Amino acid sequence: MIIRISRGAGDKYDEYNVKVSQEMTVLDILFHIQGNIDETLAFRYSCRGAVCGSCAILINGMPLLACKTPVSRIDELNNVYEVFLPKEGKVPEDGMLLEPIPKLPVLKDLVVDWEPFFEHFRKLELELKEYSNPPEKEYLLGKDQVRELEKYSNCISCALCWSACPMVGDVEGYPGPAALAKLYRFYLDPREPGNVGRLYFANRDFGWWACDFYTNCRKVCPKGVPPNIAIGKAQNQLKNEEDKK
Amino acid sequence: MVGKIIHEHDVLVVGGGLAGLRAAVEAHDNGADAAVVSKVYPLRSHSVAAQGGINAALGNNPGSKDDSWEKHAFDTVKGSAYLADQDAVEALCREAPASVIELEHWGTVFSRDNEGKLAQRPFGGAGVPRTCYAADRTGHNLLNTLFEQASSRGIKFYNEHFVTSLVVNNNKCAGCITIDIQTGELHGFSSKSLILATGGYGRIYERSTNSLINTADGHALAYRCGAALKDMEFVQFHPTTLYGSNILITEGARGEGAHLINSEGERFMFKYAPEAKELAPRDIVARSIMEEIEKGLGYEGEYVYLDLRPLGAEKIKEHLPGIRQIARDFANLDPVEELIPVQPGQHYSMGGINVNIDGETNIEGLLAAGECACVSVHGANRLGGNSLLETLVFGKKAGKRAGSNDRESVRLSNVKNVLDREQERLETIFSGKGENTAALMKEMKKTVYGKFGIFRNEEKMHEGLNNLYRLQKRYSGAGLNHRGKKYNQALLKFLELGYMLEIAEAVAVSALERKESRGSHYRADFPNRDDDSYLKHTIFIKDHKNRPSITFSPVRSGLFPVKERDY
Repeated sequence: MIIRISRGAGDKYDEYNVKVSQEMTVLDILFHIQGNIDETLAFRYSCRGAVCGSCAILINGMPLLACKTPVSRIDELNNVYEVFLPKEGKVPEDGMLLEPIPKLPVLKDLVVDWEPFFEHFRKLELELKEYSNPPEKEYLLGKDQVRELEKYSNCISCALCWSACPMVGDVEGYPGPAALAKLYRFYLDPREPGNVGRLYFANRDFGWWACDFYTNCRKVCPKGVPPNIAIGKAQNQLKNEEDKK
Repeated sequence: MVGKIIHEHDVLVVGGGLAGLRAAVEAHDNGADAAVVSKVYPLRSHSVAAQGGINAALGNNPGSKDDSWEKHAFDTVKGSAYLADQDAVEALCREAPASVIELEHWGTVFSRDNEGKLAQRPFGGAGVPRTCYAADRTGHNLLNTLFEQASSRGIKFYNEHFVTSLVVNNNKCAGCITIDIQTGELHGFSSKSLILATGGYGRIYERSTNSLINTADGHALAYRCGAALKDMEFVQFHPTTLYGSNILITEGARGEGAHLINSEGERFMFKYAPEAKELAPRDIVARSIMEEIEKGLGYEGEYVYLDLRPLGAEKIKEHLPGIRQIARDFANLDPVEELIPVQPGQHYSMGGINVNIDGETNIEGLLAAGECACVSVHGANRLGGNSLLETLVFGKKAGKRAGSNDRESVRLSNVKNVLDREQERLETIFSGKGENTAALMKEMKKTVYGKFGIFRNEEKMHEGLNNLYRLQKRYSGAGLNHRGKKYNQALLKFLELGYMLEIAEAVAVSALERKESRGSHYRADFPNRDDDSYLKHTIFIKDHKNRPSITFSPVRSGLFPVKERDY
């Protein structure tokens, strides 16, 4: 199979002829190329089990984790990910096209600079702010409360949603789906004092209100996190708060 | 000094997983200027992959109402085949409840029981349900919490910096040298204390659950400058890793009630551990599975089945959603209806850099914590749920000790000298003749897995060690053709292979030296435990002529008398 891989600026691509099997993942293919054909190729990896969030790339234009995408599934994914398919002719015939995720600066080959993505984690102060006198033991939380928090705390910060969101890059300063989903998670957390204030951390045209609900974030999330739902609920909650005034 | 960048911090932590971040937070909270160096972004550390849980005698479960730190300590010591140091185990278990509650207060989304308290599930080798969890994503949840806490404190992160050498003079550590992976430039770091928290050495093996980044870096860096390694022969094989990719299938699955089934449909653990069955400690379950497979009672001679169906769909979805996802993504099956093919795989490094309870090594200013260290709380076999606990308890202790270290600032000239030396060493690597690192790496993994796996004997191990020596020789003459600066992963792999070949030797020599069977170290030629001769720690250290040597150190007991292990 011909594997066409982006090699950075200037629309440069290299092609590698690799014998692939249906069970191989795209990450396996990348290791094969790096170990046996071209040691200059660069891509990120760590857990190879879809939990660390390192290997987000575009596979035939679709934002996916390389480690959990076997060759055998690519055709069926074409249907699910229709909106992301690139211009005709870019994917080699009976081959595969691998590119870095968009909307982040490319550092080399498939490696992007994550700083613009993580920067919003710091700006939105995405950490639990403690009560000054916490209980001696654990806070008591209901199973339903935990279920709601888990929906968003399952995020692995892979930046696939960032790369698939039409608003990222279009709206200056937009924190992106992952950061907003995390922000909503802290708003929901009863262990934080005055957490309603959390909603106001992103009560701006370029915050919650920038979302146009394309729901690409939900579609591409490898962990089933729904940032679109968090954003919708936050908007409704803010409207209610305004009505109260 | 054009192109030479030196950073100064009170405390430098190498590794951004749970132990490293907990240490950095504690050092910071003790008033020190702490920084973290990591070869990946911290959230990509292997801690993120921990699934099943973290042990603490909270007594929340109806089945563990009168649980205590003493009971937790007894289970841990018995599980360790009496090789753990009992004062260290006491610290681990006494401080467990506060350590878990602290993370809860910092925001970890732990699973709850009906009263809203932290839920606790049964785990292998534990007398009562003692394992707290965040579904089956406990490591992910803890790591995110600690990363959030570290970031909010303004702790400086040097992400994607790969450590090539420590700076040690006259047995005193003054810092380290890194390659900034993004630019290829060398950086010098000067610190009063340096804490290694680099994780295990699992990737010297084929068939490992570990992340691909667990390449023994910290062990080799410490050993090269004179630190002692302890109990390196003790390597844990997890009973249930997914056939094919060896991705972990948590012990929590068996804790919740899953069965192990051989090719005759038999729940075979009844034969090996009549009381504990599937919840015997990992060394016993892993050996039992291998025995079944070797007797021809496996499937395709490679695996047995893990049956989650007795749990029912609801329990699987609620408590094991990550396992269901892994089975779907990586084996194309749904465990609500189908069986999961599993085989034992390398999982955890019990051995590590020899440290005291405060994380200090035999080198002044050099500390270690987490899986890369050996305190020892796991002895010859770690209990599930104790490794996450170890990262929090001993990460904190190391951070506290390092943060209160008032050593005088070290001489920067030492760092600069080593920086120059490293620059020259890299030049030598680039001028050597190209060798296929991937092929060497593959051969090493095959050797270590084949000769130092679950069943060991003298002959196989000698063969293995000789093969490792041959590989080391090939490596020492090898070089690299790719001289690129940015993201030169060929160079990183080359350096990682050097670390791994050195540490594989430590495992091999230590395993040959221990002529008994204890915990995870099972020798067919010495099938019994021999307390008279071997109730002691193996120490692998360079001698005064810079050659590898073995010594022993006594086990610190005191709480529990040494007994047979039955389950």
